[in-house]
Amino acid sequence: MVNEQEPTDLDLVRRIKAGDEAAFEEMVQRYHARVYSIAYGVLRNSEDAEEATQDTFLTLYRKIGTFDESKKFFSWFYRVALNQAYSRARRRPTPTVNIDEYLPRFSSDGHLAGPDVPDWSAGVEDQASARELVERAGEFIAQLPPAYRDVIWMYDVEEIPAADIADTLEISIPAFKSRLHRARLYVRQRLSEISRAPEKAEAAV
Amino acid sequence: MTHTGHDDISCQRLILDKLLEFEEGTMPPGERERLQHHIEECPPCVQFLSTYRATGRTLRMLKPREIPPALAKTVMAFVRARSGKKP
Repeated sequence: MVNEQEPTDLDLVRRIKAGDEAAFEEMVQRYHARVYSIAYGVLRNSEDAEEATQDTFLTLYRKIGTFDESKKFFSWFYRVALNQAYSRARRRPTPTVNIDEYLPRFSSDGHLAGPDVPDWSAGVEDQASARELVERAGEFIAQLPPAYRDVIWMYDVEEIPAADIADTLEISIPAFKSRLHRARLYVRQRLSEISRAPEKAEAAV
Repeated sequence: MTHTGHDDISCQRLILDKLLEFEEGTMPPGERERLQHHIEECPPCVQFLSTYRATGRTLRMLKPREIPPALAKTVMAFVRARSGKKP
């Protein structure tokens, strides 16, 4: 399985197009974890994410002939993965939030109106409260409109480079940054709210 | 919160327009200094920044999840069964 010289994605694509089955298997090895993780970000459920991963590779197998080799393979393929996850997610729609309702509020002269919540940042260092924060952050992200959810999931959770995400989602870098920032502000606000009512947060564990 | 009016940076402008670049370190040094100066004199912004950073740390902790151990094999079996060929 391990070659001395790793074939590039494009090498594998060309071999798959020529009917090389070992190349397809190598592509599965290379990308299955990433595809699963992207699907999980949309679906938040391991069974659905696993099925979406299977569908994604089946689509790869069937549609690789349509891939334009002048483009980056992973951008095309991540888009396939996202589309598979979306079509599955549409079968059980989750309500999305209005992000504007969760952005920080300012006075008319642009000042932040005092600390609105306790500073919960130290909670991230504590294992038990960090677990709670992480769990809730996942729920909050899942409620975002897809345009925001994909950006924050791919960048902050998956740590995919900005340029690659913009390429995959076919958006500009400024649009990417704007969505990322708004999504972060939203998650910060939601995490702050649960910290304001700690007894409620604990009861939910 | 009252401010000394030393510059034209408001909390709103800092948080909504500048924070991402500030955090990424891609900002011209002069502008960065002005923002830093605002933050030092503005306790609400200090707290905002610390919870914004904590949000980033929280999100990164979402990542380590288990990938189903036999996933690659399951995928190959699925594609073989559905493609009608034998990859």
